[in-house]
Amino acid sequence: MTSVVVTGRGVVTSLGEGADPFFDALIDRRSGIADGVGPASEFDPERWMTPKEARRADRFAQFAIAAAQQAWDEAAPEGLEPERGAVVVGTGVGGLETMERNTLAWLQEGERAVSPMFVPMMMPNAAAGLIAMRFGLHGPGWSIASACATGGHAIGEAKRMIERGEADLVVAGGTEAALTGVCLAAFKRMGATSREGISRPFDLRRDGFVMGEGAAVLVLEAEEHARARGAKVLGRIAGYGASNDAFHITQPDEDGRGAVQAIRAALADAGAEPGDVGYVNAHGTSTPFNDKIETKALRAVFGANGSAPPVSSTKSAIGHLLGAAGAVEAVVSLSAIERGLLPPTLNLEEPDPECDLDYVPDGPREAPGLEAVVSNSFGFGGQNAALVLAGA
Amino acid sequence: MAEKTIPTEEQVLARVREELAAIKVPGAEDAQMDTQWSELDVDSLDLVELVKALEDEYGIQIHDDELKPIKGVGDAVALTIRLAQAQQA
Repeated sequence: MTSVVVTGRGVVTSLGEGADPFFDALIDRRSGIADGVGPASEFDPERWMTPKEARRADRFAQFAIAAAQQAWDEAAPEGLEPERGAVVVGTGVGGLETMERNTLAWLQEGERAVSPMFVPMMMPNAAAGLIAMRFGLHGPGWSIASACATGGHAIGEAKRMIERGEADLVVAGGTEAALTGVCLAAFKRMGATSREGISRPFDLRRDGFVMGEGAAVLVLEAEEHARARGAKVLGRIAGYGASNDAFHITQPDEDGRGAVQAIRAALADAGAEPGDVGYVNAHGTSTPFNDKIETKALRAVFGANGSAPPVSSTKSAIGHLLGAAGAVEAVVSLSAIERGLLPPTLNLEEPDPECDLDYVPDGPREAPGLEAVVSNSFGFGGQNAALVLAGA
Repeated sequence: MAEKTIPTEEQVLARVREELAAIKVPGAEDAQMDTQWSELDVDSLDLVELVKALEDEYGIQIHDDELKPIKGVGDAVALTIRLAQAQQA
């Protein structure tokens, strides 16, 4: 079957822009979280697009455009047939800021106060559409929404699209800008976010996730397409597995059944054995439920500590980027392989007896010869995606 | 707010430029009476925002069927002045 390789990467997070500076920040044990959120405070849309384009795009789409442009520049895909280029860029919630502002205007001032740009800014597929316009990609395009698993699903489904022969190149990833009043209030009301405002995955004191924002986008290509044009191959999407918990709309299956199924499917897709995996980039949200159940699932797939590979959570440094998380974490996984370095789990000081794997709390840690990484993404709705990332 | 007096061409042109600049249309400051929307890359969504600004400024109402023949700055200015005059009559 066609092998799917990565030739470009782009990132926007609270720890800056660009895949390499972002990984450097993780390795330096820096945190992008302040006052209980992880905002991309230094993001300037007009660095990436014209003032008119910026005005007509919600923040979630602006992030995606910036990340896509970085990935496109790195991939430099010359000679691509426009009909063979596709886009799969998802978001958990779409243009929430636009939604809130226009809803308030409509309630206060009526119909005339609603912007004609409301729909094209709010719609979740806006980011994918704008990216296709920017690069002239005429192949298939859509947005995926599977809450916090969106980024993983987008990359996995892009892989499938290339394997089915529908595209030679896919711009794929996830984006989220949900640090808005209603969304923050809603997650707080659910009890999903940390009251203390600290992201400490797998720590006994963890009390919920910290919301972050940003995007990550990859350029994926059929290997023969990338090789034929002499592109630098940065890594590969070796495996993808997806599943449903079919259990509860927000709580994970208590036995981790859906997570286990997705991870095993990704390994099978990659033709890999559990023992081939040298590192797991966990979903690791810092919620009491996720971290306990994800640990249970990892034990079921990989065995107990000693046999299971080291695990760490990027969300400890930048918070939970919802629909962007899986894409950001795929980029981190690829960098870990490229550099032979495992990023740490920050703020893990009091181990939880129910979370008994090696979470690299004192990292970064050298991992020479690291070849395969599993990256997990589990969404509200019980929707799970797992990726196996491998070296070039 | 409705104006008491009928605006001049210069006044409406200035208001059009100001609104086009507010919605980040490139070249808005240099727009002239004979500038067409196609030259400014103004599309139907921009036009909705421009129309709302002109309606609010001059207390007029521009109906959808009056929008179709508006192909550029001069058309918008002329329509605005005509509707403002009708308002006063």
